[in-house]
Amino acid sequence: MSAVTPRRWAKTYPWLGEDPLPTAPYTSAEFYRAEVEQVFKKVWLCLGRVEELPAPGHYKLKRLDFAATSVLAIHGRDGVIRAFHNTCSHRGNTVVVPQGDWDQCGRQQAFTCRFHAWTYSDRGELIGVLEPEGMPACFDKTKHGLTPIACATWEGFIFINLDAEPAVSLAEFLGDMGRHFAAYPYHELSQNFTYHTVLNCNWKVGVDAFAEAYHVTTIHAGSFPGTFSTGLQMVKLLGDHRTTAVCFDPPRESPPVAKLAQSKARGSLVNSVASKSLPPTLNDERRNDYAFELSVFFPNWLLHVAEGIWFTHQFWPLGHDRCLWEGKYYLNPPRTHSERWAQEHAVVLQRNAWLEDTATMEGTHYALSSGAKPTMQLHDEEILVRHGYHVLDQYMSGKGAR
Amino acid sequence: MALLPADFAPLETWAVDWALPTQNQRWDKRLASSSAALLAFYQALLPWLEPILAHADQFALGALPEPSARLFDLTLMHAEIAPNVELYKCAPNVPHSFAERRFIAVHGDARH
Repeated sequence: MSAVTPRRWAKTYPWLGEDPLPTAPYTSAEFYRAEVEQVFKKVWLCLGRVEELPAPGHYKLKRLDFAATSVLAIHGRDGVIRAFHNTCSHRGNTVVVPQGDWDQCGRQQAFTCRFHAWTYSDRGELIGVLEPEGMPACFDKTKHGLTPIACATWEGFIFINLDAEPAVSLAEFLGDMGRHFAAYPYHELSQNFTYHTVLNCNWKVGVDAFAEAYHVTTIHAGSFPGTFSTGLQMVKLLGDHRTTAVCFDPPRESPPVAKLAQSKARGSLVNSVASKSLPPTLNDERRNDYAFELSVFFPNWLLHVAEGIWFTHQFWPLGHDRCLWEGKYYLNPPRTHSERWAQEHAVVLQRNAWLEDTATMEGTHYALSSGAKPTMQLHDEEILVRHGYHVLDQYMSGKGAR
Repeated sequence: MALLPADFAPLETWAVDWALPTQNQRWDKRLASSSAALLAFYQALLPWLEPILAHADQFALGALPEPSARLFDLTLMHAEIAPNVELYKCAPNVPHSFAERRFIAVHGDARH
């Protein structure tokens, strides 16, 4: 990073200042409770991809423990994807019974509660009540559908908003960030590899760890040695969100299997691959060493885009000191066994890098919880972390959501 | 009885324990192996990688006969352990990592 102008991002974005950040937002249970109310129950959250609900009747169930609810997204026969609280209008049982600790997808003609067989349509309407003659005379079935949750899509990503009346539309919420990341062929790169785990740390510890490249030379000395050490490039702070380019170092001779895998792969994070699918909004300086885009969609979703690869991280709060992490890696469907093999090599290496990333998170939270450090000191390369705190502070002081 | 196609007979000895069809099985195998075993498997398969992939590419995805599928599984096992040999000094685990098996792979039990 020797060629980089010192404190260039502080000079580019002077309104963010250079003060240390308080650590209490990471460790305080009281702050967390307020954060759930003022952020997580107010803003648009990415729930998944439309490909997870490919046809009418397909549904996705996702637990949102911070809001003590589970979201039932349904692809309706009219083609519209809607979201509902998975809560029966009768006596409040879960309509679709969770089968495990994580997301579940399936397909049903209608949704029948196990408790007393009240049944809902693909649009969430109450269409069947067991022994209806026993209900009060004034009971009006049409008024007791599933409780809707605001739901909208952007580029095939399904977003929900738990606020009964969201302050802004999804398009307004995404703003310039939505335009920056539009027109990438997310749907074509549909070969997906997903990992998840529960981490004993505040959700922001996780988001922050992935929102800078300052850690790459240390944490990824194993999996990505001498690969991404040029510092951030083309940082853009777009409304509540933030994005940067990460570039690669001059290529070095790869070891034999890595070299063979790269020769057979259709996409790469670490090698110069001629850009075919990246939208013109990315790499606007047209750098030859452009590797991938690293971005944070406020509050808890990170989208990374490269030629032939895209991946996401999401951190769902489970408390002030716990969160669910989901890492999803997407590639072109393989055409040959050679390509499938090259994908396995890429996925394994990426998984290993994520194992290196997540290694710090629980230790960071534990050490912060000591209270030994009331503030944390940020480097200029951590401008996205600084912006993340700035946006969070806006919401917590009532100035968010424009 | 041979486990692999005849052209790949020299690899028969590896087919018994190392031809594993799911990522979870391959992941567990790596973690349970010694550094010496990982290096031996890496070196034994390395010169065969390209011939095996050329063989597998004669078949459509999902259409490998059982001996060829076993052979292809060996290459995936090799992809699982290659970073350990090439980058991590033959450590069976990822050095300085999160507890590996706390990661749940949604695709982990899918074949290939």
